[in-house]
Amino acid sequence: MAVTQHIDTTGAQAGADMAALTAERESHGWKWLLSLPALTILVFAASGPLLIVLIYSVLTPAEYGGVVWELSGRAWFQVFFRRDIFDPDEVTLNWSHLSVLWRSVSLAFQTTVICAILGFPTAWFISTRPPGQREIWLLLITIPFWTNLVIRTFAIQEVIRNQGVINSLLMNLNIIHSPIQMMYTDFAILVGMAYVFLPLMVLPVFAAMDKLDTRLLEAGYDLYASRWEVLRRIVFPLVRPGFIAGSILVFIPSIGSYVTPRLLGGGRNMMLSNLIELQFGQGRNWPLGAALALTLLVIVLVALVFYLRTIGGDEDKQHG
Amino acid sequence: MADRRDGPGSGDNEIEIKRLSKVFGQGDAAFRALDDVSLGIRRGEFFTLLGPSGCGKTTLLRLIAGFEQPSAGEVIINGRQVAGLGPNARPVNTVFQNYALFPHMTVADNIGFGLRMLGKPAAEIRETTERMLALVRMEAMAARKPSEISGGQQQRVALARALAPQPRVLLLDEPLSALDLKLRKEMQSELKRLQNETGITFVFVTHDQHEALTMSDRIAVMSGGRILQSGRPTEIYNHPAERFVADFIGDTNFLDVELVAVNGATAEVRLPGGGTRRATLPEGLAPDPGSHVTIVIRPEHASVTEEAADFEGTVEDAVFFGTDTHLNLRLSDAARFTLRRQNTGAGDGAMPEGSRVGVRVADGGIQVLRN
Repeated sequence: MAVTQHIDTTGAQAGADMAALTAERESHGWKWLLSLPALTILVFAASGPLLIVLIYSVLTPAEYGGVVWELSGRAWFQVFFRRDIFDPDEVTLNWSHLSVLWRSVSLAFQTTVICAILGFPTAWFISTRPPGQREIWLLLITIPFWTNLVIRTFAIQEVIRNQGVINSLLMNLNIIHSPIQMMYTDFAILVGMAYVFLPLMVLPVFAAMDKLDTRLLEAGYDLYASRWEVLRRIVFPLVRPGFIAGSILVFIPSIGSYVTPRLLGGGRNMMLSNLIELQFGQGRNWPLGAALALTLLVIVLVALVFYLRTIGGDEDKQHG
Repeated sequence: MADRRDGPGSGDNEIEIKRLSKVFGQGDAAFRALDDVSLGIRRGEFFTLLGPSGCGKTTLLRLIAGFEQPSAGEVIINGRQVAGLGPNARPVNTVFQNYALFPHMTVADNIGFGLRMLGKPAAEIRETTERMLALVRMEAMAARKPSEISGGQQQRVALARALAPQPRVLLLDEPLSALDLKLRKEMQSELKRLQNETGITFVFVTHDQHEALTMSDRIAVMSGGRILQSGRPTEIYNHPAERFVADFIGDTNFLDVELVAVNGATAEVRLPGGGTRRATLPEGLAPDPGSHVTIVIRPEHASVTEEAADFEGTVEDAVFFGTDTHLNLRLSDAARFTLRRQNTGAGDGAMPEGSRVGVRVADGGIQVLRN
């Protein structure tokens, strides 16, 4: 009797659980509405436009810009190859596009390296200041961020152009007799991008250094390590996450840079964004512009995976 | 009593500190962390720097390690002036307060770090690392990261890491303060064992008098950047020369008494009861008979007596501590006296409040203070 009763009660309990579960499941029926704002943004601001770009890249360009709704692989073909004007059967690599692609990747990479080399001592300097001073230095690093990018780029122009600060100073000191051509070169683009994106490297590296326990450095010295060994075996491995974050933060906007190469590189030293703009403007080839934009996206994704696999993977090996 | 035999110039000293001072900051903001300290630490001994926080003990340790450079004075390790040498050029290793293990390296790599930096061959590094792991009983944890082992285990690894390069001196900066009581007791005997097995000179910094008394061969008590007294634990405890030392270590009764006569290292003092007893004088102190001095009597050096009492007191209260009972007495309006009655199993040692008791001080239980 007691046993039966026991079974009965557990049975009732199970029934109640089921009811609760069903109720919960039913309530999920409308709960997703709560995520509507997020879904709206994701669809209309992120995935939607990307989808449109993807669709445009496989359509045919209209004569005065825009597209004709006719499927075509020509834009993607044009990204990498070109047909001879006189002999359409002769296909060659499109070197003018490929060189812009290569310049974008290479300049973005160099910018990242320069920012890392300049950012490390800067972050180290700030993190070793007394607590009250640190905030001031961080503020000084971020102030240029609040200034318009175009104005900052013009300022760089003022420094490096033929009649600019550097050249007139060197000429007045009789060190050189004719100005060094710095404007409208890859060097000018590098200077501009490194200047603009440096804070994006300094801040995450500083954040990593700030967490670094100085007693670890003392422990290193105590165990017979030289300054260099302490730097190499203790500081670098521990601030590496900051470098990874900083490298990603610098590389991505660098490779998509538009204003800096436009103002400092002139018309000839284009980067990918300038080429894309050209296709949507004067070039009136929207599908090619769309295909180039997606190519940029793929490069960024590949670079990200590469970073996380190599630098991040090293980290795993060390921690595993 | 200040031990003069270990003064600078002694031949078998591992470390000699000569008139060492360290000033932090400048001008009005200057802080004298260490003030004209001289000290000798003998080869192979367990030497403790004891004092409250801010007394300069850690500064002295950091000056020996080379993390700081002195403002004045000399540090001599194994007969060699080490002024200007960095920590990586001194035959000294440190166990840090919070261990400072390298978080990105395994336990084994942490222990081998010093040897790698010294450029030892790989086989020797591996062999020594294994020996050190066995010494601190951490063989099973060799491949773990510091974050994956407990606080007590991290402590052992920190010890092994500092011992691996076989330094002449091991400096320990409050290494047990982060551990709970039970682990701390375990590590205390572990440290003594390691010191005996390795024969390395240990310089141990602590603010814990019990740690200092139980572990040390000799203790230096520090306050305000100075060494007030150094000597064996029994000397420091039984014969404190200064009020601070007596107060800092153990429970103490201070009494102001009249000095009747001086006979070399001892003196006759008049106790509150009117009778005179023999008291020990701090070394080098010869006060004039008739002057007033402060004496120290440890609570356990006095007992309740029926006859031949040195003085009498009224019981204010009795506190039972298990092993003993503290009897708090009022001698006069100004003077209080605590004595400790050992729990012998017969009764709790308490006396009724307000009763008059006679107190007898054991022979050799009275110490005159310097100030």
